[in-house]
Amino acid sequence: MGNDAVFRVGGLRKSFGHIEVLGGVSLELHAGEVTVLMGANGAGKSTLVKIISGVYERGGGGMSLVGHEFAPNTPAEAIRAGVVTVHQNINDGVVADLDVATNLTLDRLSGSSAPFLFNPGRVRREARAVADRMGLVIDLKARISDLSLADRQMVAIARAMAHQPKVLILDEPTSSLSSAEADRLFALLDRLREQGVAILYISHRMSDIRRLADRIVSMRDGVISGVFDRKPLDYEGAVNAMLGRKIHLDRIVARNSVKPVLTVDGLRIAPGARPISLTLGDGEVVAITGLVGVGKTALAETLFGVRKPLAGTMTMNGRPYAPETAGEAIAAGVFLVAKDRATSGIVGDFNIERNVSLPFLKRTSRLGVLRRRIERATARRQIQELGIVCRSEKDEMSALSGGNQQKVMVARWMSQAARLFILDEPFQGVDISARRDIAAKLRASANGRATLLFVTELDEALETADRILVMSEQTIVGEHRNGDVDMDRLLAEVAGGSLHGAA
Amino acid sequence: MKITRRLLGKAALGLAGATMLMQFPALAADKPAPFDKPGVKIALVRYLSTGDFFQAYLSGVEAQSKALGVDLRVLDSRQDAALQADMVDQAIALGVQGIIIQHGLTESMKEAAQRAVDAGIKVVAFDVNVENPKIPQIEQSDRDLARLALEQAVKDNGESWKAGYVYVAGIAPLDRRNETWVDVKKKHAGIDEVAMFGTLDNPIANSVANQARSVLSAHPDIKVMFAPYDEFAKGVKIAVDEAGMNKDIKIYSADISTSDIAAMREPDSAWAATAATNPAVVGQVSVRALAQMLAGEDPGHNVIVPPTLITQKDLIDKDIKNMEDLSAKLPQFAHADVAMPAWMPNPNAK
Amino acid sequence: MTLRDYAIRYGFILLLFGLIAYFAIAADGFVSPQSAVFIFQSVAITGVLALGVTATLVVGGFDLSIGSVATSAMMAAAYVMVVLEQNAVVAVVACLLIGAVVGLINGWLIVYMRVPDLLATLGMMFLLVGLQRIPTEGRSIATGMTMPDGSVANGKFSDAFLALGRHRFDFFIPNLIPVSVVVLLVLAALIWFFLEYTRFGRMMYAVGSNERAAELAGAPVKAYKIWAYIISGVFASIGGILLAARLGRGDIASGNNLLLDAVAAALIGYAVLGAAKPNAFGTAVGALFVGILLQGLTMMNAPYYTQDFVKGVVLVVALVFTFALSGRDRR
Repeated sequence: MGNDAVFRVGGLRKSFGHIEVLGGVSLELHAGEVTVLMGANGAGKSTLVKIISGVYERGGGGMSLVGHEFAPNTPAEAIRAGVVTVHQNINDGVVADLDVATNLTLDRLSGSSAPFLFNPGRVRREARAVADRMGLVIDLKARISDLSLADRQMVAIARAMAHQPKVLILDEPTSSLSSAEADRLFALLDRLREQGVAILYISHRMSDIRRLADRIVSMRDGVISGVFDRKPLDYEGAVNAMLGRKIHLDRIVARNSVKPVLTVDGLRIAPGARPISLTLGDGEVVAITGLVGVGKTALAETLFGVRKPLAGTMTMNGRPYAPETAGEAIAAGVFLVAKDRATSGIVGDFNIERNVSLPFLKRTSRLGVLRRRIERATARRQIQELGIVCRSEKDEMSALSGGNQQKVMVARWMSQAARLFILDEPFQGVDISARRDIAAKLRASANGRATLLFVTELDEALETADRILVMSEQTIVGEHRNGDVDMDRLLAEVAGGSLHGAA
Repeated sequence: MKITRRLLGKAALGLAGATMLMQFPALAADKPAPFDKPGVKIALVRYLSTGDFFQAYLSGVEAQSKALGVDLRVLDSRQDAALQADMVDQAIALGVQGIIIQHGLTESMKEAAQRAVDAGIKVVAFDVNVENPKIPQIEQSDRDLARLALEQAVKDNGESWKAGYVYVAGIAPLDRRNETWVDVKKKHAGIDEVAMFGTLDNPIANSVANQARSVLSAHPDIKVMFAPYDEFAKGVKIAVDEAGMNKDIKIYSADISTSDIAAMREPDSAWAATAATNPAVVGQVSVRALAQMLAGEDPGHNVIVPPTLITQKDLIDKDIKNMEDLSAKLPQFAHADVAMPAWMPNPNAK
Repeated sequence: MTLRDYAIRYGFILLLFGLIAYFAIAADGFVSPQSAVFIFQSVAITGVLALGVTATLVVGGFDLSIGSVATSAMMAAAYVMVVLEQNAVVAVVACLLIGAVVGLINGWLIVYMRVPDLLATLGMMFLLVGLQRIPTEGRSIATGMTMPDGSVANGKFSDAFLALGRHRFDFFIPNLIPVSVVVLLVLAALIWFFLEYTRFGRMMYAVGSNERAAELAGAPVKAYKIWAYIISGVFASIGGILLAARLGRGDIASGNNLLLDAVAAALIGYAVLGAAKPNAFGTAVGALFVGILLQGLTMMNAPYYTQDFVKGVVLVVALVFTFALSGRDRR
C-alpha cells in the first residue's frame, strides 16, 4: 500500500449560476486503495466526479495525476490519461443499440491510434479478451438493449476496466445489482486493488462500504467533512460527518391490523410461477423484499392495473377489484409511487406544484377548467407535510436533490386519500435523512389505508414495515412480523433456499 | 436562343406557305407513310405535369395523337431530371418512332435527346432547349405574350403611369417575359415601376396576395399591375379587392384558365386583360411537328405557337364563361395553323 | 432575476417591438390600423395551422401533414360547392370532417401502428397531395370548369362561404377586421385557454414531457395523443376553409409553404416569454412576428429570397434563445 498519492485534487470549486456546488474540495487517492466517498444527495459527489472525468469544467483549484497536472477538457482526454469513470446512470456507460462486443471495445474506435476500418472479427477477439479478464460471462453478440440492467452495468464496468486505468471511479455501481452480482464486482475490485489501481468508490450502502473501504471520505454541502483512514474504520463517524447529525436507529413498533383492505387470492404474475395470496390490512405498512428481478415490480404493476395477472382475483374492501388501467386503479383509490422516478414519475417540464397535482387533475378542476388556487394550496400543504426543501412550489424539479425529488413523488400520491398506497423502491437514490423522513411520514399517516412497499434493501424494510413479505421466483415465499424477525430464515428465503422447503 | 422579329416573320411566311397547300379539307386527304397504317408509336416524356396548364397540354397531345391514329405513351418524370433522361432511353427501348420532350433541363436532356436522334428516332422539344439542330423547338412566345398584354395596358391607360410588377427571376418563361417588360419601360419613359415583388411559395396566389397588400399600402398610387403569370394576377386581384381598390387599378397578365375567366368577368374586376397561348393547341402542335418529321417533312427549327389577347370586354361581350367557350368563341385561341400540312387531321374540326 | 433571465423572458418581445419601431420609421404607411389588420390577415391561415401543430408538439409529436390537409380541405370545399353544387354549410362541414378524419388516421398510425410521428405524417402528406388531385384528375376547381367526363361544373362558391374570406367587421373604423382575423384570434384564445387552464391541456403537456409518468398518473395517453392529431387536423382544415374563401377556387397545391411557415411560427413561439416549450401564446406571437417582418420587408421592396433568408434568421435566433440561453438541456 503506497503512501504517495497517485491522484490529487486541491481546492476544487464549482458553481452553477450563483449556487456554489463545490466549495474547495481537496482529496487524495492512493495506489492499491479503495477510497469510499460518502455524501448525502446534493452534497456535490456527482459534480466532483464529473469534473474529474472531464464532463464539467472546474471553477477553481487543480488536479494532478502521478505528479503531472491533470486538466481534462473532455471525457476522452481523462480516459486517455488513465482516469476512468463508471457513471451512476448505466445508460451513459453503454450504447444501447450496439452489441456487447462493440461496447466493450468502443473507446478504441475513436482516438488517434484507432484503425480506420471497422473489423468485426478483431473487435470480437478484443472483446473476448476483455470479458475473460473480468470474469464476465455474457453473450458478446447480444444487443445491450436486450440485457438486464445488472448485465448492462457489468458491461459498463468491464468497458472501463479495458483501459487498464490508474484511477477508477465508480459512482454508486451496485445500486441496481443483486447481491450475487455485487459480489462479482467486489471480487473484481479486489483484483484491481492488488494490481495497484487507485479506486474512488461512491456509495451509500453500508454493506458495500464495510466490504471494500480502505479509507472513507465524507462530503457535505460541497466540502470534505471528514477523512477516516485509521483502522478499524469509524463507520459511524463517517455517517455522522456526512449527515452532520447523529442518527438514532429507531426500532419499529410493529402494529397489527384487523380490518383487511386488499385481499389477493391465487394471483399469478408470470408463467409457471406459483400463485400469490396475501391480505393487506388497514393501517399497516407491509414491505415486500427480494432480490432484483424476482417480480416485485411486476406485482406492483399488477396491483396498479398496468399489467394483467395470468390468474387469480383481487378484492378491495369486499368488492372485486380488477383494474384495466392505471386510471381505474387510481379511481379505486390504489396509488403507486413507481420505481425509477426519473423515467416513471417526474414530469420534467412541470414544476413541483404541477407534478404534485398530476394524477388528480379531475379533482382539482371544475368542468375541465383547472382551479389553480386549490392546486397551489395542495402543493404548499404537501411541501410542508413532507418537509421538501425548496424555495417555493414553483421550483423546477431539476433544481431539487434526489431525495427531495422523491419526496415530491410521495407528496403527489399522498395529496389525496388512498385505500392502498404502493411504493416501488421508494428509497432508491435517496439519502438517508430523506429516507427517514419519508418512512416516518408513511408510518404516521398509515391509518385509513394499506401501505405496501417494495424494497430490495432489507434495512429499508426493517426500518419501515410492520410486516415483511419475501419474494422469490415471482411469488411470495415468506412472511415475518417486524419485531421478532428470524434473520436467518429471512435471508434464506431471500436467497431462494426455503422455496422448496416450504412447498 | 433569341427570337427576333425577323425570325418570327420567316416562320409566319413558312406557315402561310404551308397553309396555302392545305386548303382542301384535311379529313379527305390520304395520310402519308407511316400514318397510312396504324401502329405508329410515339412517346411524350414529361418533366412538369401538375397543374392546369400541363393537363391541358396533355389533352392537346392526346387529341392530336388520336386524330392521327398513333399510339401515344406518356412517361412522366415528375420533376426528376435524371429520371426524365432515363425515360428517353426507356422510350427508345420501347421502340417508338417519335419522342416529344416536354420541359426539362438542358444539361440533363441534351445527351439523352442526342441518343434518341442517334437511334433514328424523330424528336421535338417543347420549352426546353436541347441544343440540337436536328430537334425542332416548339415554343409559345413568351415575349409576344408580354408584348400583347403591355400594348393593351398602354392602350387602356396611356403612356404614363405608376406600375407594380410581379416577377421572380430565374424561371425561364418569366425571364423572357421580363425582357419585354424592360424593353417596354425603356420605350415609354412615363411608365414608373414603383414596386417589384413576387414569390413562388404555394399556394402562390395566397402568398402573392399577402405581398401585394403590403405593396398597395406602401404605394397607394399604383395604377397598373403587370403580373405576367396568371397565379400572380390572381394574387394581385385578391389584394386589390381586399384593399377596395378594384376601380383604381388595372391588372394585366399572361396565361388563362377557367377560374381566371371567372375572376376577370366579376363586376368591376380589376383584371383587365391577359395574353395567352392555348396549352392544348401547343400540345397539338407538338404532335403535328413530330408527325411532319416522321412523314419526312420539315416543320422548321422553331415552331412558334402565337398567343391571343383576351380582354375583359371580349369575355363579357361574347359571354365566355370557361375554356370551352373561349375555344368556341375566339377561334384564334382554339386553333393555330402551325405545322398544319394538308394531310394533317385537325382534332378541333367537328 | 438576473439580466440574463430578463433577456430570456422578454428578449424576443423586445425584438418584436424594435422591429415595429424600425419599420414605422423606415416604411411609409406601416403604422395604421389597416396595416395592423392586414398583418393579422396575412398570418391568419398559417397562424391557424401553427396553433394546430402546437397541439401535436405539446404531446411530443409532430404533424407534417397540416399543409396538405389545408390544401385538401380547400379542394374539398371547392368540390362540394362547384361540382356537387352544395351550400356553404355542407362545404364547411365536409372540410372539418376531412381534417378530423385525417387527424384520427395520423393518430392511429402513430399510437397503434407505432409508426414514428414524422414518418406517419409525412406519408399522410404525400397521400393527401395525391388524393386531392384524383376527383378532378389534377385540375384546379373553379366555376365553369370541365370535368374529366366532359361535363361542365356549374356550381359556384356560395356568397356565405366567400364571406368567410371577404367579409369585414366594423371595429371603430367601418369594414376593418376580416373574418379570418377573427377566426385566428378566437382559435388562438381557445387553444391557449385549453392548453393552459384545462386539465386536458395540462395532461397533454405531461404526456409530451414524460409519457410513462403520465400513464402511471392514470392518463389515457393514447387517447390524448390521438386527440392532439385530431386538433391539428381540424385546425389545418379550418386554415383550408379560410384559404378557399380567400382564393375563391380550389387550387392544386402541396401546401408545403404553409407547413413550413406554420412550423416556424410554432418553433419561434418556444422563445416567447422564455417558455422553452410549445405554447399557444408564443405560437401566435411567432406567427405575428413573421407577418410583421414580411409586411415591412415587402413595403421596402425587398425581393422574395431575402424574405426567406430573414425568416430563417429569425427562426435560428429564436431557437438559440430557447435552447442555449434558457439552458434547458444543460447537464
